[in-house]
Amino acid sequence: MPVVELSLSRLQNLVGKKANKKQILDSLPFLGLDIESLDGNIVRVEYSPNRPDYSTDFGIALGLQGILGISKGMLKLDVKKQGNYEIKVDSSTSKVRPFVTGIIARNGSLDNESVKQLINMQEDLHFGLGRKRKKSSIGVHDTDGISFPLKYTTTSRDHRFVPLNSTKESSISEILQDSEVGSDYGSILGQSAKVPIITDANGQTVSFPPIINAALTTVTTKTKNLLVEVTGIDKQSAEDMLSIVVTILQGAGFQFSQLKVSGSKNSTPNFAPRFITFDIDPVNKILGLNISGSTLLSCLKKCRLDAVMKGKKIQCTIPRYRFDIFGGMDIVEEVALGYGIDNLKPAWPASVHIGEKNMTSEKLDSISRLMTGFGFMETLNSTLTSEQILYEMTNRDSSQIISVTSSKSQEHTILRDSILPGLLENLSKNIHETYPQKFFESGIVFSKGAPIKETSSLACVTASEETHFSEMKAVLQSLLRIGFNIKCETKTLPNHVFFSQGRVAEIVVNKKTVGYIGELDSKVLENFRIRTKVVGFEVKLSGLIFD
Amino acid sequence: MSHVLHDIEKQIIKVLQSDPNLTEEKISQETNLSMDQIRRGVEWLRQKKLADVSESVNTSLSLGKNGLDALKNGLPERRLANLVKDGPKTFDEIRSSLHGFDFNAAIAHAKKNDWINIEKTGTGSKISLKDPDADVPNDSDLIISKLGEKTIVPTEFDNTPLAEPLKSLMERPDFIIAHEEKTKTVSLSETGKKIDLEKLDSGAIDVEADVPHVHAARIHPLKDTINEVRETFAHLGFAEIIGDLSQSSFWNFDALFTPQDHPARELQDTFYLKDLNAKQLATPTQIKNVSNAHKKGWRYYWDIQEAKKMVLRTHTTCVTIKYLADKKPDEARIFSLGRVFRNEKVSYKHLVEFNQVEGIVVGKHITLRDLMGIQKEFYRKIGLTKVKFWPTFFPYTEPSLQSMVYNERLGKWIELFGMGIFRPEVTKPLGITKPVLAWGGGIERIAMLKFGLDDVREFYNNNLSWLRTASKCQ
Repeated sequence: MPVVELSLSRLQNLVGKKANKKQILDSLPFLGLDIESLDGNIVRVEYSPNRPDYSTDFGIALGLQGILGISKGMLKLDVKKQGNYEIKVDSSTSKVRPFVTGIIARNGSLDNESVKQLINMQEDLHFGLGRKRKKSSIGVHDTDGISFPLKYTTTSRDHRFVPLNSTKESSISEILQDSEVGSDYGSILGQSAKVPIITDANGQTVSFPPIINAALTTVTTKTKNLLVEVTGIDKQSAEDMLSIVVTILQGAGFQFSQLKVSGSKNSTPNFAPRFITFDIDPVNKILGLNISGSTLLSCLKKCRLDAVMKGKKIQCTIPRYRFDIFGGMDIVEEVALGYGIDNLKPAWPASVHIGEKNMTSEKLDSISRLMTGFGFMETLNSTLTSEQILYEMTNRDSSQIISVTSSKSQEHTILRDSILPGLLENLSKNIHETYPQKFFESGIVFSKGAPIKETSSLACVTASEETHFSEMKAVLQSLLRIGFNIKCETKTLPNHVFFSQGRVAEIVVNKKTVGYIGELDSKVLENFRIRTKVVGFEVKLSGLIFD
Repeated sequence: MSHVLHDIEKQIIKVLQSDPNLTEEKISQETNLSMDQIRRGVEWLRQKKLADVSESVNTSLSLGKNGLDALKNGLPERRLANLVKDGPKTFDEIRSSLHGFDFNAAIAHAKKNDWINIEKTGTGSKISLKDPDADVPNDSDLIISKLGEKTIVPTEFDNTPLAEPLKSLMERPDFIIAHEEKTKTVSLSETGKKIDLEKLDSGAIDVEADVPHVHAARIHPLKDTINEVRETFAHLGFAEIIGDLSQSSFWNFDALFTPQDHPARELQDTFYLKDLNAKQLATPTQIKNVSNAHKKGWRYYWDIQEAKKMVLRTHTTCVTIKYLADKKPDEARIFSLGRVFRNEKVSYKHLVEFNQVEGIVVGKHITLRDLMGIQKEFYRKIGLTKVKFWPTFFPYTEPSLQSMVYNERLGKWIELFGMGIFRPEVTKPLGITKPVLAWGGGIERIAMLKFGLDDVREFYNNNLSWLRTASKCQ
């Protein structure tokens, strides 16, 4: 989950003096913001990826004002058509990054902290909504040095300009090769010879989306007027992203002028709200409440939505930036938040359902009880394990190996097809403890099937100088007889890579081999640095005591 | 005051009551008990203030290397005297018979005893016998021969003519070795003396005495918590269903309305099984409806090949959603519990494989407050009483809440289970018409609270000393 760092005093200024810091801190979780740390005036909160408007303190202040009742209802957005701001789209962009949208934000000012918040927002939007800039990406520019109309077009890779945070010209190829953003996001453009570019009326480069802005338009604390442009491969996603930035800048005190977008498939963004009309009863029913229409309206307004009664129904107005609201159930959640989760009292529903454990779980439980009764300690190992433990140290056949891709941990790369190797690993880690040591584990093992087969097995080991084959056989036979009324035999096996020659047998039930039992091979034990004798067995439970 | 005595203690008291001061060795001989038993018994009696123990150091003497040589061949000075008995000899002649150290010692002591003369001549110094009685055995010889027979306590020679020669012999290197030995002499205290062994109840034992630790073979502590959670779900009227750990992306993601370009589906978060694709995905209707839901809700080309990729399940929800899609119950309480996987770096708070439980309530009249109530009751049953709820976000539920539980040991609120109502975008395409409420979360977190652990990896270390001693603190 993304994290945003906030200054409490700044947040209090934005929310309004009616709220004290304690009220603010207490309310944050009820907006769905988890407080990760609090250090004096600095609070770090985790916000949900579906609420990118909470990526800055401006957005959070908006939410707090509502839930604290300081300022309710929807924030009206006024986009003036004044000024002659336009961006023309060249059809060549349709093959690389077809869509652009944007807005002009005027007469605002940004202090250092606001610039920091905007940069953080931009990063988070790129990562989440923008799918690492692939789907959509933002550029924020100072309009002072540029002339309209702008052009969104394509250019060749030898096109040169001075990129942001630099003083010298570079070619696009150089930027893609040498800069960090170039190597991180260059792959989005693939191998295409032409790459997207935004230029101004004088042919100056403004931006090379989705990689980097030009130095020409660098935003500073002196900036008064902004151009925000969003490019992408999905029009709606680009406009979603723009709507978030607009809302945040509105909170920062900017006014807006329309940026006309013209050209193939593109159009000027529309910030009009949506309407959802719904009945009161189903909302009350699913929440387990019985609140009146007017209370319900108030709950929605506390969530910075607008709502009015339309006969017996409620019509809710959803501002453009709340694209996380899909339909009725999302409205239910808004009502719950506005009502206050703290005010929802847990209830106890009568039920005629009979609870029960699954039969497989029951049988595995009884195996655990019997095995501990025989004096064996239960261990738990990962089913996702390493080739080293499963095959290399045990000399077992690895031809049917099932592995996962791109594991971050070397110890977890393949699925186990046997439990015994894990138990030897457990013995190996406990060689300094007192003997005898007796372990067992039951659980899932994997084998290739259509496409993969999962079965349950039980494995068990005893390590001590005095242990011997018959001791283990006695445990095996008693377990199956007492627990499941199953008679098993052990049939001589000429050899087995895992066990000592002459001291290994197949476990046979009703003429079917269900496992192996024996004294572990000394070379295998040496690999695990175990210095005592070890006997063990592994038996397949699926097909034996359950399906 | 009545005493409960061990049989060993009684036997020790018995011998001490007839013979008040005895060494531990002596008691061992008298009682026929081993020294180990006597030491333990004496220590018990001492702690009960029934016996006193005085420790004394005894020295005993025996012959060293040079002493043994003197026993065999005579003292060096005596051998020198014998050599010159028949006439004076030069230093060189003597040196060939008495080597190195013996030579110097022999001359020094023979001179001290006034047995010899040393005359300087033109051909070097010569030694001649001065005392014709020098071959008569003296006190030193007597001491050597006595020590040759047995070890001796030095006090035996006190106030005898042998005291002085002994001192002198002990000053000479390696002639006599002194051994120091600690002896414990045991006597009964006043209370101990008064104990009437006849009157003690012979059947009573000391029930207050300390005992050694014994180790139980036991169910793994985490499994113990898993079992408790499973039992509790069953008590709350939930029936268990089980499903595979390996799942198609369709049931793990697509059926839950997770778009195919969602970050959670990337290789760096989810374990994909190498080169394995699902053969049978779902019914054609289920596939068609899910595909349409994605196209409508997320506006992209939904790729069935992507849905066929096999993953290790990232949650148990894939099991419950498939159950609901196949059975379409109008009313149900079911749960699923088992291992789930995340491609994460292992740390004190993250594992790649852990246990999750998820309960589902389906019902026409079920409410969010009901789900909160069920959860509160669950926590009460497993011993967690301070619970509150906060809003949160889960991709496939709306509204979504998380429960917070207060932990006294850590002094803070801990996030435990999540809950929510399945989004219509999830249920509708699968033909589920009644509201579906889900709740659940990781079990290791609960087990950590119960066993007071701060590092989740401990559960899978299988460290025997921890398994033997881990105890529940909540």
